Amino acid sequence: MENAIEAINLTKYYDDLLAVDHINFEVKKAEILGFLGPNGAGKTTTIRMLTSLTTPSEGTAKVFGYDIQGQTIAAKRYMGIVPEISNIYDDLSAWDNLMFTGELYQVSKPEREKRARELLEMFGLYDRRNEKAKGFSKGMKRRLTISMGLINNPQLLFLDEPTSGLDVQSALIIKDVVRDLNKKGVTIFLTTHNIEEANVTCDRVAIIHKGKIAAIDTPERLKKTIQSVQSVEVAFDKTSPKLLKELEKIPLVNEVHKEGDKFRLYTHDPASVLAGLWEYAKANDLKPISLNTLGPSLEDVFVRLTEIDVKTNKEAI
Amino acid sequence: MSKKFSMGQLKTDLSASWAIAKKDMRIYYIKPGTLMFGVLFPLFMFLSFAVGKNVPAATLIPGLISITILFSSSSIGPMVIPTERRVKTFERLVSAPISFYSIILGKTLGGFLFSLAIGVIPLLIGMVWFETQIISFLALVVGLALASYCFATLGIMFASFPTENPGDIMMLLNFVRLPLIFISGLYIPIESLPDWGQVAAAFSPLTYANDLVRYALEGKTLYGPVLDSVVLLFFTGVFLLISMRIQRKFREGVSIRRRKREKAANL
Repeated sequence: MENAIEAINLTKYYDDLLAVDHINFEVKKAEILGFLGPNGAGKTTTIRMLTSLTTPSEGTAKVFGYDIQGQTIAAKRYMGIVPEISNIYDDLSAWDNLMFTGELYQVSKPEREKRARELLEMFGLYDRRNEKAKGFSKGMKRRLTISMGLINNPQLLFLDEPTSGLDVQSALIIKDVVRDLNKKGVTIFLTTHNIEEANVTCDRVAIIHKGKIAAIDTPERLKKTIQSVQSVEVAFDKTSPKLLKELEKIPLVNEVHKEGDKFRLYTHDPASVLAGLWEYAKANDLKPISLNTLGPSLEDVFVRLTEIDVKTNKEAI
Repeated sequence: MSKKFSMGQLKTDLSASWAIAKKDMRIYYIKPGTLMFGVLFPLFMFLSFAVGKNVPAATLIPGLISITILFSSSSIGPMVIPTERRVKTFERLVSAPISFYSIILGKTLGGFLFSLAIGVIPLLIGMVWFETQIISFLALVVGLALASYCFATLGIMFASFPTENPGDIMMLLNFVRLPLIFISGLYIPIESLPDWGQVAAAFSPLTYANDLVRYALEGKTLYGPVLDSVVLLFFTGVFLLISMRIQRKFREGVSIRRRKREKAANL
């Protein structure tokens, strides 16, 4: 068996609302799959079906070969689940939260004590293990939630928005732990809004849009599908309000975005745009202080695959 | 959920139920809502009807025990389950590799043990200050245990409705608990009730709990301890069955409404 997850025609209706529309995909063992999509695209509903919290309306999924509907308990034994909201017991200490979760997953007492110590140390919470979780910061609660998801040494970890809204320290710790877990062979199903995080963390990325899988592939292959979206990024020693409009007039430039003190010129021919940019700078006495040519980013792919909604919203406004 | 029965899974489920009950005891027993609805409310309800009545105080002790058990055991589930739904810790239980039965058992155990502990207090008060005697120790133990578990399942049955607000459940539950007090022979002997009252009393589990406790402490019984026990077991089974049905039917009820709202907001 090669697959940790196999989604087969997975579908969810909420009454007449089609939230997830007959999706099919596989996640290989020891793979990190990023699951991206705009709000309301069906990410959380999919994760809830895969973890048996929601019953599919049609289709099913297998986790390490076990059907999530017919063999739910067997499938759940392989899973660690970290939901979007940190669902810890505020009135229990960090240690007791882990002990309780260990008991639910039938981890023996010596094993769960050993594991709890390791996890609390790994997530920088060991010194505060005896404090009630209600006094923890958002980042600490998130780290504790992930620790609880790992108490049973899962082979498959579901992470729903693990670093959303966290401080830098917590986000870095979590990213490090995810990489380490994957090195040890743990399969990770990651949903995130942070596209750069998915780009640098995931082996493959699936983009879900309006309940359907719009694309699923490695980040680099996805980027190659939109090679026309290349760009030249430039920053000048001085700037002016009309500069944006002026740069749009350079031949072969499709679009210009201002990003901080930089301008990003989208084109399918960066070499020609560089020449035009150079001429423009000379003619207007501007000195480029940084210049980069960039390929399409995963964010470009995401926007391309979901931009219909953006335009619709703009028109509606 | 796995449909096949196995001893290993049964052991796992029982162990998980005990873990859930222990956790609930630690977190919820000393919460203000639990103490208010489980301890103070029955005490003041009882005092408001019993004080000033021209009857020996000792004869009121079985009623005080019954009413305390009713309120204490049926208050835990409605406090715990909606609260855990709101803070999403109930999902932690549902996502664990245990059966749904074990979660229900764990939740009822929390109410059961709480009620046993609280129910002993009026008994001790009666024994120390009002010369209450135990006529049948076995009937007392069986009565306390069956009544506590039965009313704990009553609380769980109401808590199964998909709400995240304990107040919603408490309000609904009090619509049932308060009338039960008046038709179950706690203040007015069932024999003195009008015909319709006697028929209604037969459908109240509190009638049988009170009858069993009265038998244990005073030796008086209307239905007999065996019938009382059997009927309490029957009610327990019915409440558990209805709980499971409601939980299954509305398992996704709260999340469906939330998700539909989110979807609608994003369209």
